[in-house]
Amino acid sequence: MPFLAHGSYRIRYELDGPANAPAYVLVNGLTQYAELWGAYRDALLARHFRVATFDLLGQGASDKPGLFISQEDQVAALHLLIGELDDGPVFLSGISFGGLIALRYAIAHSQRLSGLVPMSCFAELTPQLLLLGNALRTGLILGGTGYLQDLLLPMNLSDAWLKPLLNNLDAVKRQGWLVNDVYALQNLMESFLDFEPITPRLPSISVPTMILNGEFDFLTPRSLHETLRTHIPNSSLVIIPEAYHAFTLEKPALTADLLARFAEDVMAGRWHGDGGVWIAPQEAGGPLTPFPAGYDHLRAIPTPGKTS
Amino acid sequence: MSEFLGPLGAGGNVPSRQQTRVAAFLVSAHGALARQLAFAQPGYLKAGWQAELNAQLYRESEIVSLLLRATSWVPDPALAYLFARWEMTWLPQSIDGIPERTLSRIVDLSTLAHALHAAIRPAALLPVEANAEDPFVSALRRIEFESGRMLQAQILFLKGQDLKPFRRSVSAALEERHAQVRRLWSEMLEEIGVSVREG
Repeated sequence: MPFLAHGSYRIRYELDGPANAPAYVLVNGLTQYAELWGAYRDALLARHFRVATFDLLGQGASDKPGLFISQEDQVAALHLLIGELDDGPVFLSGISFGGLIALRYAIAHSQRLSGLVPMSCFAELTPQLLLLGNALRTGLILGGTGYLQDLLLPMNLSDAWLKPLLNNLDAVKRQGWLVNDVYALQNLMESFLDFEPITPRLPSISVPTMILNGEFDFLTPRSLHETLRTHIPNSSLVIIPEAYHAFTLEKPALTADLLARFAEDVMAGRWHGDGGVWIAPQEAGGPLTPFPAGYDHLRAIPTPGKTS
Repeated sequence: MSEFLGPLGAGGNVPSRQQTRVAAFLVSAHGALARQLAFAQPGYLKAGWQAELNAQLYRESEIVSLLLRATSWVPDPALAYLFARWEMTWLPQSIDGIPERTLSRIVDLSTLAHALHAAIRPAALLPVEANAEDPFVSALRRIEFESGRMLQAQILFLKGQDLKPFRRSVSAALEERHAQVRRLWSEMLEEIGVSVREG
């Protein structure tokens, strides 16, 4: 199990695939751990990518600072990991909290990236997201990691995914409960206490950017992704049909395929971030279709739109 | 070596030798916290936050009481030496960078309590097959759950504005206490055949 050193703290990471291949770096969500990217590692290795995964500070097998974990420290840890890669193309993707860290990295180090894929992501805390975050933190404090998982599972995953697991949810939750500690998760959540919106800095992200948003994402709804689309110059928004916030867990084959296609298209010069809005296929390999012209992509119902 | 207690008995219970060693460690640690909290309490409360000191004293005492009754104790000659070693570690330490004695004492007590409540996760030692109705299993789960709640008092205090001028000293003291506690916990577990996962 290799580790990087960030000051006195250790960051657990894993690199797979040939050293000279284009690399995908995947950043965990707040309650996650690196092993959850297993299906992505396999799929991207099969598409001839190198794959880098790691536990953020405070997660899994990385060190868990006792009192404070700043988001800048997470960016520094990510920078160390990307420093372990060769000089070839680097594509960076992150989910939710990890997407925010990826955005921060892209703002600071755009020149090191060939492409960026923020997923279920946000650049600012809307009143809804702020209050939900506060409530989730209170849930963690009063009920522990298990209760936080109980809140997140139905919020972020579909009935179709949950139904066959209803009698076995403890097993689904167990690994996350084992490797993540209450105080460390709380520290990660409290890294938002002094959060300032990064929206004004998004235009400095110069790399091709594919923004992925689940159709039914309740925690970080479309409007938050629209902020990314309208502020990141070379970007497009792709809506994952019938998906919730944690679609990376629910639809790994489709999402890994979208990641690989994006990187292949960027490297082949075929990808154009023209601010477009697209709908992903239901299954891996299917075609992306443009969002219907004349309809508002911020609405859940196909209402003739005011937005372009 | 497994990451979990066991192999479990036929009834899904943890072997008595492991119960004895784990419970002894927890009794020593939470008993030390209870004693130190008792001495830290003023005769009459002068501030609202001191009510938490009183609550923590009785919660720590409850943990000790619970373990004494829920554990299937067996003779363990090594405990005399181990207890002495553990108790030495819980003794108050001065905090570099905080010259005021009372504040230093309270910070030290809080860092020890933070380390014991945060770094020690007894329920995470239980395999899935452990019998939820077994008193020792139930006690470990309750202790971990209560620790997560009690920890909030330490988090609020150690992260609070009052300690902002001493943040570097507080963080260093806390990391040291965590390292001490983790080392003793993992050594104790290794002696009963349990390896502690990294992180």
